[in-house]
Amino acid sequence: MQKFVKKTFRHGVHFHDKKELSKGQATEVMPTPSDVFISVSQHIGAPSAVTVAPGDKVVKGQLIADAVGGLGCKVYSSVCGEVVEIVKKAGATGALSDHIHIRTDGSDETMTLPPMTSKDGAAIRQRIADAGIIGMGGAGFPTGVKLSPSKPVDTLIINGAECEPYITCDYRIMLEKTAGIVSGARYLAEACGVENVVFGVEDNKMDCVAALSEAGAKVVVLKKKYPQGAEKDLIFAVNGRKVPCGGLPMDVGVIVQNVATAYAAFEAVENNKPCYERVVTVSGGGVKQPKNLLVPNGTSYRDLLDYCGGASDDTVKIISGGPMMGFAVMDLGVTTTKTTGSVLALTKAEANLTMPTPCINCGRCARACPMSLMPMYIDFYTLAGDYDTAVKYGALNCFECGSCAYVCPARRAIVQSVRLCKQKIKERKK
Amino acid sequence: MEKLVLSGSPHIKAPRTTKSIMIDVCVALLPATVVGIVFFGLNALITMIISVVGAFAAELIWKMAFMRKNFRQFAAEFDFTSIVTGMLIGMNMPPLVDWYIPLIADFFAVWIVKMLFGGTGRNIVNPAIAGRVFVFLSFGIVAANGFVEPIVTGNGTFTDVVVAGSTPLGSLFMNGEFTATNMQLFLGTVPGCIGETSALALIVGGLYLVVRRVIDIRWPVIYIAVTGLLTVAIKGFDFTWFLPSILSGGLMLGAIFMATDYVTTPNTTWGNVIYFVALGVITAVLRCNNGTEVVSFAILLMNLVVPIIDKYIFPRPFGHVKQPKAKKQKAVKEGE
Repeated sequence: MQKFVKKTFRHGVHFHDKKELSKGQATEVMPTPSDVFISVSQHIGAPSAVTVAPGDKVVKGQLIADAVGGLGCKVYSSVCGEVVEIVKKAGATGALSDHIHIRTDGSDETMTLPPMTSKDGAAIRQRIADAGIIGMGGAGFPTGVKLSPSKPVDTLIINGAECEPYITCDYRIMLEKTAGIVSGARYLAEACGVENVVFGVEDNKMDCVAALSEAGAKVVVLKKKYPQGAEKDLIFAVNGRKVPCGGLPMDVGVIVQNVATAYAAFEAVENNKPCYERVVTVSGGGVKQPKNLLVPNGTSYRDLLDYCGGASDDTVKIISGGPMMGFAVMDLGVTTTKTTGSVLALTKAEANLTMPTPCINCGRCARACPMSLMPMYIDFYTLAGDYDTAVKYGALNCFECGSCAYVCPARRAIVQSVRLCKQKIKERKK
Repeated sequence: MEKLVLSGSPHIKAPRTTKSIMIDVCVALLPATVVGIVFFGLNALITMIISVVGAFAAELIWKMAFMRKNFRQFAAEFDFTSIVTGMLIGMNMPPLVDWYIPLIADFFAVWIVKMLFGGTGRNIVNPAIAGRVFVFLSFGIVAANGFVEPIVTGNGTFTDVVVAGSTPLGSLFMNGEFTATNMQLFLGTVPGCIGETSALALIVGGLYLVVRRVIDIRWPVIYIAVTGLLTVAIKGFDFTWFLPSILSGGLMLGAIFMATDYVTTPNTTWGNVIYFVALGVITAVLRCNNGTEVVSFAILLMNLVVPIIDKYIFPRPFGHVKQPKAKKQKAVKEGE
């Protein structure tokens, strides 16, 4: 086997990745559910404006909500059927937003975007915005906006690190859609006008590395360590540049895109297909048959889990996203979005259900923090109400990867403290 | 799946808990304790038992009487820290010490030093060291009496009682006499406190902690090396002092188990370097100057300095932009 230099960042945590549960499962197409609830607020910008009314017939790939504002994003129907109503519903984070309820009628009519006349950078950028593509790694930043940076960039990094445990959706598409991802990455590069495209893949996915290299992509092998896929740490590992505090990757001339985003870009440019479905990993100890599924947007978690044999009785937590940064959901009626990479059912043995005990100052959190912060002091001062001191120890630089809380032997809820501190600082600024 | 738990991320946890760390420390202290009991006999065993039970009782009484917790609550949150304190106090006692001395040390350590400051994790100095120093200063000759020759060489009875100052460390630094061979010091067949004489057993325990990733091997090594080398330097670069100075007295016990206590050490790498080098310097200088054992006092002193070290030494965040640059830009803007 070819030898690679494994690159990485400072600190971070090592753990068992639990990917073997769903790693071997080839992506299956999920049968269309009877009802879907498509959120109009899947991205980080303003909620999209609904363009359909109850009673309208829609088909797969039809525009149902239009972009609003600079960070807006178009939403397309993922099924054929009739719009029943527009309801306010809680998403994975618990925040209420408008959902378009569509009852499917079983037909399989598909609408595509008009074919592209030219394939230059501006046209591709326009197409990606039109297709409603957003960052599919989890942040949900509209890709069209990200591809028009205000500063000169020279490198596009395609993020295939997938450092969260359990999740295998990126792994599967890297294996199954290698050619699509590589040409999608090329389109993305053209859209932002850079030559240098690098894939970053962790060393627990060596088969993906081999497949991508074979398809002609430049791959950097990264050490398996959490949070390797975090933008700033990924950039440092790949080309040694440090994104300044409070800055963006483009400040050091880099743009980072997820592999799923690259594939969506390929579909939009080559096949004129808007973004309305994605691969979702359904895994965890509570799932009878872990699977990787191609799921239409708006499928409820209940349908997903039922298709995988249902959640077992000892399931205590349902998580949207990875176990380190994902959200625990309160009911199974929550639906998937473009950013849902996985739905996990964790059993009592796997999930963290402990209560915090006093901090013993062991310093494990500081040694784990990829941002070199002092989590124990952030926690201490935030709980004491001294937010300024918490900021001095770096509360605002934290991106909530959860490494500190993961290693904490006293089970301190450090990430929650950081969120509280950020919230309080935000309130004060108003 | 009737009830779903809702909580913030992360949703998985490393298996390590405070309790498991403290149990590891107890296990690591066992070799030295067993060696001490074998060498010093039944009296040492009784002292150890009084000390451990005393520390446990102190925490139990405090939590149940003053914090109004029932036994089940106490058991649920019991994290073995007071057992570690009790073991360390016992190991720091001479084998024939009066029975109430370790008990007083226990109660002082757990009540005054730990609980009054807020319990586990909030003590400003190491409870075990504070307890030991408290009884040694308060009871003077009573607490410092009771050193015996170990059973393997003497017979472990009262006729063998030697006074403080004629442990190998005392005679070494007071009179400059080498009363024990390095091998004796290494194995522990010399008079001394119950748990401090056998460097071998302490190193075995220390390596266990290193393997279990409870402590970082760099810190005790820095402390011991600085002490040894500085002693050599003070004594005119006479390298015969190196091994006796690091093997005798409470240095091994202090460096491996007491100076590395999480609560009272700095949180950063460079903070720890300063802390342990300073410990080594204080220990070596005071030993050569006073001719008595000062490891406890050195650790106690440096414990109090830790908050200051932590206040000024903390890492810059990843991608930190240096402050002067920002100031310059401001100045330029203001100039405009």
